[in-house]
Amino acid sequence: MTSTACFIIVSRNDIPIYEAEVGSAAKREDAAQLHQFVLHAALDIVQDLAWTTSAMFLKAIDRFNDLVVSVYVTAGHTRFMLLHDSRNEDGIKSFFQEVHELYIKILLNPLYLPGSRITSSHFDTKVRALARKYL
Amino acid sequence: MGREVSESCIDSLLTVMVSTYCNRFYANKPELAARRIEAIGYQVGHQLSERYTMERPRFSDHLEAIKFICKDFWFELFKKQIDNLKTNHRGTFVLQDNRFCWLTRMSIDQSPENGTSEELSIMADNKAMQSMHLYFPCGIIRGALSNLGIPCAVSADISNLPACSFVIRIKA
Repeated sequence: MTSTACFIIVSRNDIPIYEAEVGSAAKREDAAQLHQFVLHAALDIVQDLAWTTSAMFLKAIDRFNDLVVSVYVTAGHTRFMLLHDSRNEDGIKSFFQEVHELYIKILLNPLYLPGSRITSSHFDTKVRALARKYL
Repeated sequence: MGREVSESCIDSLLTVMVSTYCNRFYANKPELAARRIEAIGYQVGHQLSERYTMERPRFSDHLEAIKFICKDFWFELFKKQIDNLKTNHRGTFVLQDNRFCWLTRMSIDQSPENGTSEELSIMADNKAMQSMHLYFPCGIIRGALSNLGIPCAVSADISNLPACSFVIRIKA
């Protein structure tokens, strides 16, 4: 089953620190830019919504054609945003929780400057594996 | 992610860290040593706050975050909670710990009735060394609160050992 999915992590200072196309569909050049554009546009909505609830997982907050944006906000106001076309909410929530744990492990690295880009290929491999498993 | 470290290891590590920074790296520059130690604490607090807030819902306001520091965060670090929390409702909080774990091994100087000037200067040095040990926990609190979105300044007060008060001033 092919699915399109684009995952980004945005830090508390609104700087994207990680981006990945994790869908199983074939990757198209223009689609990648469009996905990033939609995700960045959804940041305003996240900003408003994040203060109304104390939950971490804000479900689907925005839609574009048939793609849906789901967001997970951590206590440190780091946002994990996923643009996807599937409707598997539980899978997406589990995906976010596992990525949260991976993110904390990156953060515990004393040589990692919080708010800088995540360049670890290990992290990248693991995120893609999780995406294949849950999405 | 749940491995454990012995408490005596942490105690020794902190003692050695303070003494190395004060006597070897920045000998005769106590302000620089203090800032470095506080910066280490800031990074540690930043990382720990992210780790310990993973399972729980996010905070709705400043008081919730401070209560998290007093209860869950302090419990994870020191196996006990803060004993007393005071606030003036205008951005200042005082956290009092009646038996601060990292200071329990320090001697409590009894002030002599008719102290000679030599004894008094030794006591002043002791006080200065003791306050050096407090920059690390102040940094931890500041790092944790900054990560939760609350920029603040933290100072510590040890007028009666082993109780220790941390004063948090939130930047408006």
